[in-house]
Amino acid sequence: MAAGSEAALWTLFLYAVLTVVAPPIFYVVSLLLAPAPRKKLRVKLMPFESGQAPIPTRAAPFPIEYFPYIIIYVAYAVIAVIAFIVVLDMISASQNILRGLIILIVLTFASIYASSLLPSLKQRLERGRTG
Amino acid sequence: MIDPVQMFLQFFNQLPPQLQEIVRFLYSEPFIKAAIFPGALFSTLVGLFAVWFERKLFARVSLRIGPLHVGRVSGLLQLVADAVKFLSKERIIPEGVNRPLFVLMPCLALVLSLLLYAFLPFGAGWIIFPSDIGLLLFFLVAALTPVPIVLAGYASRSKYPFIGMSRMALQLFAYEIPLFLALLGVVLAAGSLNLEKIVEAQLAVPFAVTQVLGFIVFTVTMLAETERLPFDIPTAEGEIVFGWQTEYSGVYFLMIQLAMFEKVLAFCFLAAIIYLGGWIGPPIPGVPETISAPFWVILKALLVFTFVALLRGVYPRLTIEKVLDLGWRYLIPLGLVNLILVASFSLAGPIIRP
Repeated sequence: MAAGSEAALWTLFLYAVLTVVAPPIFYVVSLLLAPAPRKKLRVKLMPFESGQAPIPTRAAPFPIEYFPYIIIYVAYAVIAVIAFIVVLDMISASQNILRGLIILIVLTFASIYASSLLPSLKQRLERGRTG
Repeated sequence: MIDPVQMFLQFFNQLPPQLQEIVRFLYSEPFIKAAIFPGALFSTLVGLFAVWFERKLFARVSLRIGPLHVGRVSGLLQLVADAVKFLSKERIIPEGVNRPLFVLMPCLALVLSLLLYAFLPFGAGWIIFPSDIGLLLFFLVAALTPVPIVLAGYASRSKYPFIGMSRMALQLFAYEIPLFLALLGVVLAAGSLNLEKIVEAQLAVPFAVTQVLGFIVFTVTMLAETERLPFDIPTAEGEIVFGWQTEYSGVYFLMIQLAMFEKVLAFCFLAAIIYLGGWIGPPIPGVPETISAPFWVILKALLVFTFVALLRGVYPRLTIEKVLDLGWRYLIPLGLVNLILVASFSLAGPIIRP
């Protein structure tokens, strides 16, 4: 079976159909086995809070300290794409390896510099919050 | 003398043509690959076996015996009993949840985790979808698997799932890029994104030896991506109850657990294929290569899984800031250094051996 041939696509389609069918099978078996829904007690339907009556939520407890990490993800995603393009370039012809290597070295030193700066970024944010 | 093959052929020819078509379809190569090996039946069975294996191993690490009574051989059928129990529980949807998302996300998680197996080769030709960009396709589906998890935590509208979800999101943001960089090292060394060619490139030495740094980065990111200890803070039981899975029970919980185990195993198979040489191993006398190749892949993947399961017994859980520090500040530079090493070896290669 060659890569990307019609038989390969047909096999992938069959497998995808089988995977999509799996959850409904579980659900149907559960329909057959599980007890019929009787009167629903409110205790059963409460969100789980270790047995206590749920305390109403105020603001969502999202950890704002780690927000800078989500911002730098954007920068690192670009770095990952650059690395991918460089690798594809190096694979395509062996004389491209040297110039790809230079780009990779620049990226490495940039990432090492960034990782030395990251802890102070968090501190700076905390200082801004306290005063 | 009655020849069974002749008998079967005679019986087959007497069948009506529609039935003959169905039998031909069931015996065709695409159906066998999609439904039996390496498709649906195999991936489900290996997932069930992994749950049993992990429970037994974890019990032995903590000097217990583990599942024992159900099934003849050391509680092998305990999981079937567990699955039947989960399936026979009432389906509870708590009040205040986003119902469509709450119900659909476990299904989506299971489908995506099972789809990972479509791109894993278990031997030359033993693959559901052979493709020249197989590794990229695997990474694509693996990068989609956090989506149902985050949405399930959001749909629960409750405190513990929300905390678990935000931890999960931060952790996955941190570990996606090191994983990608580690995979790029393999791609650069093999010169191809085709997983079968990557295995063929390891004929002399597996990449785990030539790219030790990349292998370490891959192993750590694999643990973080699949929420295994010491990176299981999104579902830290005993700390935030059960993280993003807290509100799930019954059949939904079964689907989530199966999905998580399928994902761990898919990553173990990937590690065996791209780092440990895949189906390259000493030939077994008397066994044809079409059978010995999957045997080696499964054996190597089980070794990786044993390591993963042992970590659960011996390591404490890391806190979120340590997890983020490790991902952003150490693994990304390490992944890039690994790329540099591989590139400079391939630059020096023609000089060393002309």
